[in-house]
Amino acid sequence: MQKNMRLIISLIVILVLIPLTLYAGITIFADRKYYFISIVIIFLACVPFFLSFERRKPQPREIVVIAVMSAISVAGRALFIVTPGFKPVAAITAITGFSLGAEAGFLTGAISALVSNMFFGQGPWTPFQMFMWGMIGFIAGLLGKTGIMHKKIPLILFGLFAGVFFSFGMDIWGTVSMYGVFNWKAYTLALTSAVPFMIIYAVSNVIFLLLLERPIREKLERIKNKYGILQ
Amino acid sequence: MKAFETFHPIVLFSFFVAAISLSMFFMHPIYLAITIFSAISLNIALRRQLFFKDWKLYVPLFFLMAIINPLISHNGQLVLLYINGNALTVEAIMYGIAIATMIVAVMLWFSCYNVVMTSDKFIYLFGKVSPALSLTLSISLRLVPRFRHQLTQIVQAQKVIGMDYTTGSLWHRIKCTMRILSILITWALDNAIDTADSMKARGYGIKKRTAFSLFFFERRDGFVLAIIILLFVSNFAASFIGTTTFYFYPTFGAVKWDIGSILFYSSYFALLSIPLAIEIKGALKWRSLKSTM
Repeated sequence: MQKNMRLIISLIVILVLIPLTLYAGITIFADRKYYFISIVIIFLACVPFFLSFERRKPQPREIVVIAVMSAISVAGRALFIVTPGFKPVAAITAITGFSLGAEAGFLTGAISALVSNMFFGQGPWTPFQMFMWGMIGFIAGLLGKTGIMHKKIPLILFGLFAGVFFSFGMDIWGTVSMYGVFNWKAYTLALTSAVPFMIIYAVSNVIFLLLLERPIREKLERIKNKYGILQ
Repeated sequence: MKAFETFHPIVLFSFFVAAISLSMFFMHPIYLAITIFSAISLNIALRRQLFFKDWKLYVPLFFLMAIINPLISHNGQLVLLYINGNALTVEAIMYGIAIATMIVAVMLWFSCYNVVMTSDKFIYLFGKVSPALSLTLSISLRLVPRFRHQLTQIVQAQKVIGMDYTTGSLWHRIKCTMRILSILITWALDNAIDTADSMKARGYGIKKRTAFSLFFFERRDGFVLAIIILLFVSNFAASFIGTTTFYFYPTFGAVKWDIGSILFYSSYFALLSIPLAIEIKGALKWRSLKSTM
């Protein structure tokens, strides 16, 4: 029943609200408002996850475990404050997703973004970060069911994918929608400016995933088995 | 002596939602001038020295963003020169400057937001809309400083037994860091279960959650909120009528100077200068109180 609820809300958002925003963006505000519209759409895309979490009345144990994992990734981001882009947030979110499932993964990523920006400053990038890290956790949760994500090669591939995905959302989508120019020149310019960051994201993801996957997974599994949460 | 901060969180939040969303939206030169002017003055009023420090960041950002548009866009009729067969147009340059102004204004509004909307206000507001999520958020927010504290304790304890992460070979350092992190996570998760059981024992989820807060919705909050909503609606209407539209391509549109447009411009200015007006009023009152003492 809970799964259906999320499906229904997601369908409403994806099939009704997002097209409505796009339509309004094209017809009423005809003059290149892509950046604003992107932020509204990104925000709407987060809503189904939050709503379904809210509606199923989560147990205190789930709430606290998600809060702990987000706080650890925020503390990790603070620890690596001197190295721009080289952060363990995506890796910790992904590992949470592998072990605790898609929903917990999404929430850990999104809450990490929101909380860390409360320390480092909110900006127009907050919704993008929330959605991108959230989706990394969500996809990790779906992949975690396959049971192969503790092996080295899938981990490396996922780390690379997460770096490219994050960079696509934050840098490329950000710049292109800001200027509202959709031609090859704009894409190549955005891509070339994003590539250094993309590499840093991907490399840091791979390093942190390889180093942290086993210890954190073991701890989460232990908590899961010992107390029977988020099964 | 910060008067605007003392208003109810809903008033503060609505103001920033209105200011930031409208600033992102209007690319009309007059509107851009109004928003950047208001954002700078509020920044100076709220952040003073910090704002002057930030200039080193904003000025290069402004120029960087302004030059990107003429590089990727060759629309426009007023051609300055041709580079490799691509036109460099006045319109594209002006549009780049307009975008740069808009982004810098939005960032300045966000830096005011970060000063005024502290995390307790944000959680207070969203605790009503989404209790479970805002509880997760506030637990997480509280855990971050706690983890940092615990981290220093673990580091010290590990140092004593020879696992100092600041010395030795790279491999040794990585091993020590991982060990410290691993200890922290084990400690944190077990502690979390304790917290959760304690919450359950105290009846979490049985009744509606209550929250301690010192925020009261007073008459002045209602008054300011009503003004914000009224001015937001009038600006929305302006964008519907088309006062706020300005075309850069194929060539510049005209800036209207009739009475109706000027009224709409001033309604935008009035909306964005609400916090500054409150700050100035507070400062004047403080000065007059001090002089009568």
